Amino acid sequence: MLRAARAGAAIVAVAALALTGCAAGADSSSPPVSQAEAAPGFLAVADESFDSGGELVVQVDYDTAEASGLDPQGAATARSWMIEGLSYETLTTIDEDLAVAPSLATSWETPSDTEYVFTLADDAVFSNGRAMTADDVVGSLQRLLDNPTTWTGQLGPVASVEKTGDLEVTVTLSEPYAPFLAALANTPAAVLPMAEIEAGEVDITQQMLGTGPLVATAHRQDEEWTFEPNEHHPDAGSLGFSSLRIDIVGDEATRAAGLRDGSADFAVLNSADSAELLSNAADVTVAGQKNTDYHYLMINSVSGDEALQDEAVRFAINSAIDRDAINELAFGGSTGASGITPAGLPDSCAPDGLPSATSDAADAKAVIDEIGGLELDLLVYTDEPVLAQIAQVMLQNLAEIGVTVSIEQLDYATYSDRVYGDPSDFDLALSWFAGYADPAMVTTWWNPGVAGFSSVYMSGSDELNELIAAGYTTEPGDERAGVFSELCALADEQSEMIPLVLRPSTIAWNTASVSPTLTTDEGYGDFLRHITEFRAG
Amino acid sequence: MPVVLWSLRRVAAALVTLIGVSVLIFASVRLMPGDYTDLVLGPLASEEQRARAVAASGLDAPIVEQYFRWLFGVFTGDLGFSFVSNVSVSDEFAARLPVTATIAIVTILATLLIGIPLGFASALRSEGSAGAAGRLVSALGISIPEFLLAGVVVFAVSTLGLGLSVGRHAAFADDPGRFVGSLVLPIAVLSVGCVAVVARNTRDAVMNVLVEPHVQAAVARGETPGFIVRHHVLRNAAAPILTVVGSLIAVLLGGTVIVEFVFNVPGMGSYLQTALGRRDYAIIQAAVMLAAAVFIITSLLVDLVANALDPRLRLTGRSRR
Repeated sequence: MLRAARAGAAIVAVAALALTGCAAGADSSSPPVSQAEAAPGFLAVADESFDSGGELVVQVDYDTAEASGLDPQGAATARSWMIEGLSYETLTTIDEDLAVAPSLATSWETPSDTEYVFTLADDAVFSNGRAMTADDVVGSLQRLLDNPTTWTGQLGPVASVEKTGDLEVTVTLSEPYAPFLAALANTPAAVLPMAEIEAGEVDITQQMLGTGPLVATAHRQDEEWTFEPNEHHPDAGSLGFSSLRIDIVGDEATRAAGLRDGSADFAVLNSADSAELLSNAADVTVAGQKNTDYHYLMINSVSGDEALQDEAVRFAINSAIDRDAINELAFGGSTGASGITPAGLPDSCAPDGLPSATSDAADAKAVIDEIGGLELDLLVYTDEPVLAQIAQVMLQNLAEIGVTVSIEQLDYATYSDRVYGDPSDFDLALSWFAGYADPAMVTTWWNPGVAGFSSVYMSGSDELNELIAAGYTTEPGDERAGVFSELCALADEQSEMIPLVLRPSTIAWNTASVSPTLTTDEGYGDFLRHITEFRAG
Repeated sequence: MPVVLWSLRRVAAALVTLIGVSVLIFASVRLMPGDYTDLVLGPLASEEQRARAVAASGLDAPIVEQYFRWLFGVFTGDLGFSFVSNVSVSDEFAARLPVTATIAIVTILATLLIGIPLGFASALRSEGSAGAAGRLVSALGISIPEFLLAGVVVFAVSTLGLGLSVGRHAAFADDPGRFVGSLVLPIAVLSVGCVAVVARNTRDAVMNVLVEPHVQAAVARGETPGFIVRHHVLRNAAAPILTVVGSLIAVLLGGTVIVEFVFNVPGMGSYLQTALGRRDYAIIQAAVMLAAAVFIITSLLVDLVANALDPRLRLTGRSRR
């Protein structure tokens, strides 16, 4: 009996090795994820001559899941922004350089540093056939201000929104706020059909009705979406596919399998290692889209280990972390370090100039030795496997200065309870922030008084808060770069939330069935931003 | 009359168990770390947003009131609404149950058709090639976890083609071919473990009967092997085999969660798995309650049938009390 069991196990092991060997052995010297540009600012540019008119099938790992349903103003995650962004448009957008560009507002003027006068597109039409008006724009922004959501804070200190012409809207701020145009570029600031909403004709939490290029015709939560072209959209005639289906496929290996067997044209993957899995798949390209999002480490200075209340101890931990090793070991070299202003955005600080990057490891060890060593827990959640990989690198980094780390891998609900509960219950925890499209936006979360959620594990400081506010109010340029440099350095010294490395997206598509357009960088996690240019045969 | 009384007692016990299980399910779901509002709204949400979501989902009522409201709903067929999609859980179950039921029923059928003959063959020819094959299949099937086997199958099928694709499910009414095609692999993966368990237990049950004195006496009387199996072994081995098959229902409930997730089949398992991640209480409570009810009812039926087949079990049960 035992012999039979051993023989069986051996057969299975050999089969598994043979199968996985087939996948990994194709070209071990090639970079795991391609970041080569097809054109400046673009990972891929759709081929106009590619077959078109077919159904485009995109597989993603999870669905939208917001308490506000499909109301874009309540959308709080990048996935919701992306899916709802197919049906909704915003006044501004971001281009391949992450610069603000026209969208429903074809142009704007800034008579003063607190006034924005937008000229609206005259060909924007909701999918029900009604033309967009200035009242829709005013009503949408006012609705966002009147019913505060996560994004309301990102809009800044809006004093008034007024219709100043048939196709003109003026927004007045109470004080200068540099990220305003970038904040308007994300889905929560979408222009809604206010006349229909106010008349009760449309429940915007259940039905998407926007000026975007696509209309959702079917949705089954956590299963799939079907989108058809919005026949009133200016690009309707040139769309390169007949319909778009978004399948929600939770398992990464199944999405990779879908690309191989042709059941998916395009898929988002979570792990850079998936490129190895797909390396022997004909016609599949795996690319890494850079994001302004970044991973960071939380050090609980409020209710964590008592030693963590000491800034010197926190800084020692910070300075022991090897960002290059994280990049190489967890991301295959496809990313890079970041300060609290996302690396790559204009005026952002240089991560290699931060105090922790230039400090001596021996000094860090001396600080930990002085307190007789330290034993800490480090929480990660399992939905994002790369967090565990980062944690493993940090475990080794911190061991070198005398900090013993025990990694706890939790489901997100338990993680959330431990990290954001009051009191929070952890020493160290890993997560990521959306970096958005303006370097000042994410810095908000370093002010616990504004962020709220971070007050259970960090104290912040008035000095830091003043620099965060200065970052908002200073116009882009050298002066703002100076503010950010100071802000990054101070946050780095205080070491309560420590930025690590940027968080790229791994995207794959079948080159035989789809020709996509993808930017090299993305600010709002919207890898289907150029969906109107995709062509699927 | 004792048989009727015994059966009524078992039914009453099952009902009490169901009520107890409902309390346990409700309490344990609410005791799970992490809250639906935290998860769905995210850490960036304001207190006002949280309060709105809690009120909208009825989670601001006292916990006992929530329990009785839920229990009343269960008995009246109202399983509540998903906090995330706001879709009726009953409607989702109606769409998903047939998928999972198809997987479970076909798996059980495959298990019975393959596992029992394999177990018999293995027991009757324990030293021959059939016996060896039975032992090998059992050992393999029991040793390989479903998640591993499913992963290997997904990889193999997508790499080698084989005319099957992963994750392309369609409702039977929309596309019968695709419906069947999408269930072949999950059923195959689930069947491996079930066949192994049943073959192994059938073999043990049959071998236990074969060494009993009345079978030895039959052999000594010169009765043919076929006659001995039909008249002396089948009935006596049936009860333990039936019990194992009944308990496989529980194994299947766990197994479908894995295979539906891996093969992207929209059944009850994948629905529950997603709901667990989001702490979507209405779905979790309803799905676990349904699973418990299926298991308790199946156990009850197995007990009733097993006792009809072998009255000694009933006497044994009474003597224990």
